[in-house]
Amino acid sequence: MNKLTIKQYILKFQSIIALLVMCIAMSFLSDRFLTVENTWNVMRQISVNLIISVGMTLVILTKGIDLSVGSVLAIAGAVTASIVKFGAEIPSMNVYLQFTLVGAIAGGILAGVLLGGFNGLMITRFKVPPFVATLAMLTIARGMTMLWTGGFPITGMTKEMAFIGTGWFLGIPMPVWISAVVVLIAVLVTKRTQLGRHIYAVGGNETAARLSGLKIERIKLIVYSVAGAMAAIAGILVTSRLDSAQPNAGAGYELDSIAAVVIGGTSLSGGKGSVMGTVQGALIIGVLNNGLVLLNVSPFWQQIIKGLVILIAVGIEKINSKEE
Amino acid sequence: MLLALLNACRQQASEQQPGKMAVVISTLNNPWFVVLGESAAQKARELGYEAHIFDSQNNSSKEAEHFDNIIAMGYDAILFNPTDADGSVLNVKRAGNAGIPTFCMDREINSADAAASQLLSDSFTGCVKLGEFFVKQLGKKGEYVEILGLVGDNNTWNRSNGFHSVVDEFPELKMVAQQSADFDRNKAMEVMESVLQAHPSINAVFCGNDAMALGAYQAILAAGKSNQIKVFGFDGSDDALYAIAEGKLAATVMQFPVLMAEQSAELADRYLKGETELSRKMPVEVELVTADNVSDYLPVKK
Repeated sequence: MNKLTIKQYILKFQSIIALLVMCIAMSFLSDRFLTVENTWNVMRQISVNLIISVGMTLVILTKGIDLSVGSVLAIAGAVTASIVKFGAEIPSMNVYLQFTLVGAIAGGILAGVLLGGFNGLMITRFKVPPFVATLAMLTIARGMTMLWTGGFPITGMTKEMAFIGTGWFLGIPMPVWISAVVVLIAVLVTKRTQLGRHIYAVGGNETAARLSGLKIERIKLIVYSVAGAMAAIAGILVTSRLDSAQPNAGAGYELDSIAAVVIGGTSLSGGKGSVMGTVQGALIIGVLNNGLVLLNVSPFWQQIIKGLVILIAVGIEKINSKEE
Repeated sequence: MLLALLNACRQQASEQQPGKMAVVISTLNNPWFVVLGESAAQKARELGYEAHIFDSQNNSSKEAEHFDNIIAMGYDAILFNPTDADGSVLNVKRAGNAGIPTFCMDREINSADAAASQLLSDSFTGCVKLGEFFVKQLGKKGEYVEILGLVGDNNTWNRSNGFHSVVDEFPELKMVAQQSADFDRNKAMEVMESVLQAHPSINAVFCGNDAMALGAYQAILAAGKSNQIKVFGFDGSDDALYAIAEGKLAATVMQFPVLMAEQSAELADRYLKGETELSRKMPVEVELVTADNVSDYLPVKK
């Protein structure tokens, strides 16, 4: 037990060291990098990826994967946007419901939980491998978003809705608050609760976990539902920031999210890793994205550099964890 | 000769049942292309054909599969929005060999004779017009940023090149950054947020489509610089037209997807009825939309 914690600390420090090196290098290369304004800017920009990645971390800890987060993000954003803008109509009962903002947000999150829960059901009940089940959901949820929006963006939300993504509270941008709360809850759940220990146990050794009487199906169902909820919260945030729900929002976000999780030291083979590691991973990607634009690096090179950073980060970690 | 014979056979067949037109669209993940595809299918139906839409999802190999299926199912004509100017040529030739004429919409293929006709939106000329307006608006000097679409896409560079063919003539107009945001509203906002950190005193931003222009505007608004920075887009999407009317965007270039799609369907109809000598390439006009003329283009509010 003791040894494992030491190793985890080393892993944690690796990401932090990488992050520090990047930040120091960036502040030498651009005098615009280390300003208060740009720091909030980076924090705000990573919040969407970070929220998705918290859900992704839990999924990957159970040795799973969720490829559907980008599409779930889109449908949740679209649901919330349309409820905020148009309310809900039930023609058969001749009822028109006007929702408050909270109701609209709840609607969007509910959509995410249901789709995530469906992922979990497919994986536990029908034994569909997580990669396949969530790949299917990636296209299903994207199709549902197209149906829901007719392929057109839903634009023009209320002021209150815009506050979620663009407002400030106590001198800190709202998206940073939201992601911080999400991270805090996730850290407490993974470190302090029985559910958290069970998540690690399922990913570490599923057979042993089953033999010791854990309800594996239930744990996985919860984890995928949470991942759906996280994607939904991210979707509402994106919608609020843009003042618009885009039908193609979130396309490819699963890759950035998986990158944040693995750079943060969570093992794709399950059971090892932490939410705080993912925070560092998301920060590394965020600083990289921001820095490459600040330095006006050519878009062609940006893609290559990002790929190399993922390889280097995970490569170094693998070497070190072998030497342990 | 063989073609004519095949054509005759099909004419006979079509007297018993309605002809079938396939509408192959590069992607339905973008409202502009949804309009293009649905207008084409709608017009084909009005002309008495069965019409089906195929979505290539921006993927040339998916497009090739669609063509295989279309040929196998014996469609009469293909209204086609290609994924790639070079990669799509073979598909069109294959259909041609099977006696199915193809009509390109909006995007061209790099072959003079493979398609029966090509109706093309003139991105380059549109951005020349936009560039001229841009120069005038900025008084021939200032700093600006360009946000490109997908860097692997023909249209991205047609637009960029058209714009620069004008703007680069003015040495006092300085491009301080050129970044890509994949035609995506959220990415454009994030890129713009970072660009504003590096270059807080820019005067304008030129975006390769309206979605990116609106994303960039959102970042500029949040930074409190909406009076300082003029935003230029391309496409003529509804959102952008409203934004121009409200003074948020400076200008966009209006393309006419509905017109283009309907003309393609009509051309295909005429071709199938025997009028096979069509002009191979027909440019479809694009219009510069600014605050002065936006009221002519605003869609009716729902």
